[in-house]
Amino acid sequence: MWDYFVSIFVNVLIWIYDLVGNNFGIAIILFTILIRIVTWPLNAQQMKSAAAMQQLQNDKEWQAIQKKYAKDREKLAQEQMRIYRERKINPFSSCLPTLIQFPIIIALYQSITRALGSSPLDLLKLSRSIIFPFLDVADLIPLNSKFLWMDLGHPESIPIFGFAFPTLALIVAITTYVQSKLTLPATANPNDQSAAMGKMMSIYMPLLLGYFSITFASGLSVYFITSNVLGIVQYAMQGKANWSSLLPASLRSQSQKK
Amino acid sequence: MRRKVLFVTMILLAAALLSGCAGGPVRGATWPGLAADEDMAYLADGPSVLGIDLADGREVWRYPAENERGFIFYSTPVVTPDGLVIVGSAGTDNILIALDSNDINRNENNTSSPAVVWTFEGADDQWVAPPLVVDDKLFAVNSDGYLYILDLQDGQSTKQAVEAIRVDGRLWAQPTTDGERVFITALDHSVIAVDIETHEVLWNDATEGAVAGSAVLGPDGMLYVGSFASRLEKIDPASGRREPVLEAENWIWSTPVLDGDTLYFGDLNGWFYAFNTASGSLDWPPVQPDGPITANPLILDEYVLVATESGSVFAFDRAGEMLWSQAVGGKIYTTPVAAGDLILIAPLEAEFHLAALDQNGRQVWTFTEGN
Repeated sequence: MWDYFVSIFVNVLIWIYDLVGNNFGIAIILFTILIRIVTWPLNAQQMKSAAAMQQLQNDKEWQAIQKKYAKDREKLAQEQMRIYRERKINPFSSCLPTLIQFPIIIALYQSITRALGSSPLDLLKLSRSIIFPFLDVADLIPLNSKFLWMDLGHPESIPIFGFAFPTLALIVAITTYVQSKLTLPATANPNDQSAAMGKMMSIYMPLLLGYFSITFASGLSVYFITSNVLGIVQYAMQGKANWSSLLPASLRSQSQKK
Repeated sequence: MRRKVLFVTMILLAAALLSGCAGGPVRGATWPGLAADEDMAYLADGPSVLGIDLADGREVWRYPAENERGFIFYSTPVVTPDGLVIVGSAGTDNILIALDSNDINRNENNTSSPAVVWTFEGADDQWVAPPLVVDDKLFAVNSDGYLYILDLQDGQSTKQAVEAIRVDGRLWAQPTTDGERVFITALDHSVIAVDIETHEVLWNDATEGAVAGSAVLGPDGMLYVGSFASRLEKIDPASGRREPVLEAENWIWSTPVLDGDTLYFGDLNGWFYAFNTASGSLDWPPVQPDGPITANPLILDEYVLVATESGSVFAFDRAGEMLWSQAVGGKIYTTPVAAGDLILIAPLEAEFHLAALDQNGRQVWTFTEGN
């Protein structure tokens, strides 16, 4: 089942690679856009849910039950669920796109290494992964793994003064940070759990994805960067990007006063 | 709190899964390389190259003595006439190493390891193809698309290439020679001829598909290559002109092996062919043992041995009759090797790493690392 899932990724990637004149980097970028389009409704739902959850934190009824049932967690949970039902809010839908990212990342990593066939066994697996009958893989192999200065099958770095500087990893970490900060709603409530969660994500996700970019094939970094940039554009287009959250706290309060 | 736990769990799971696919210096990332001389088998298998005693299947030495991050070995080792074992790494170090199997040192952990006679670190990518030794020269092709020519008698411990010739393409197969030229096959759909003395590229001819195996020189003086275009092609070594001579059912991965006038080879649909270069036709209709064939056939006095991905070996006589078969285990992608009276098989995903069979396919011993 999982192998079939990876095979679909491999086929789509190779199909795009063929269409765009044998450029694997462009194929990954277009594939990422495709993934973003497919998961667009989920992302839109996430933003909607995040906004609704945020509004709820400032709602008087919500705050009242937090106080009233502070010592009765079971009753508090029941009341919270009632409010969710009444206002048609799904508290878990804001997590879904994040959770969906992980199998996509893993499948993409496996499909990049398989499509590039960097070892004999990977190449042999590729020969068994072709499910689109119109793909003439025998003609396309070996796929060109060079894109700009990168070899997409290997981790990327640029030698600067004798030190291998991981440029892509840095860009991945910065764009991930920017994206998570932009989507983080401003809150004044110190007990706001979703804000605390968002803050945690904005710290750990850039570090994690930056680590992945240093360690794994640079094709994966191209996916991360494209996905982050598209995410930022999507939020900005919907007018929901919270640009002030990129500023330090002191500057943010000054800009809010103005 | 529950969300935090879920988030951290997902991150750890993703990190673990991705790390698992990263393909570090682990056994099983691809199939091993195998060679032998009169006394020893040499198995290039993941983090180490192992020297194994043919008499009893016991490990005599390993290189490196302790696993090192930069090394991944699966290129077939080459044993030179003066007893050096030359093997390339597909790890991050891109190093080609010559080991002296007769100069063994024991470290503090009681691990025996051969002396390194020389190294070559001038390549930019992984070593998949075994090098070719011609007199005092070594012709080594790398995945970076270069042919490196090394002088085996220069006495240097850190070798520099006498010449590095850019031929382009991913080069995974051992070069072959007719004594005047060296022929190189590339995954990038080409066959290249280089003058053995002047090192000049004589011709570079496109093939229909990627070529993973070596070219073989036929008794008619022509070159033969099998390709992923599922075709056996004949090439004029002087001009590079080519013509298809046989359509296979699927990709031809293995190097065709010559015996008399006949070339034996298999394809990924599991068909095994005997193509007669003199008549230009098959000696007998193709047979289909029990699985895809990536390993080169092994020619022995009494029969031709075929190994399949299903983990079995089949012995066919020259008339295409099956004499015997033996289930070895695992998946066999590595070309079997004859060593004295033994047939050596290095399967992938089996309970052992090397098996020695007698001439009738009966198991003599197995070698499992760590036992």
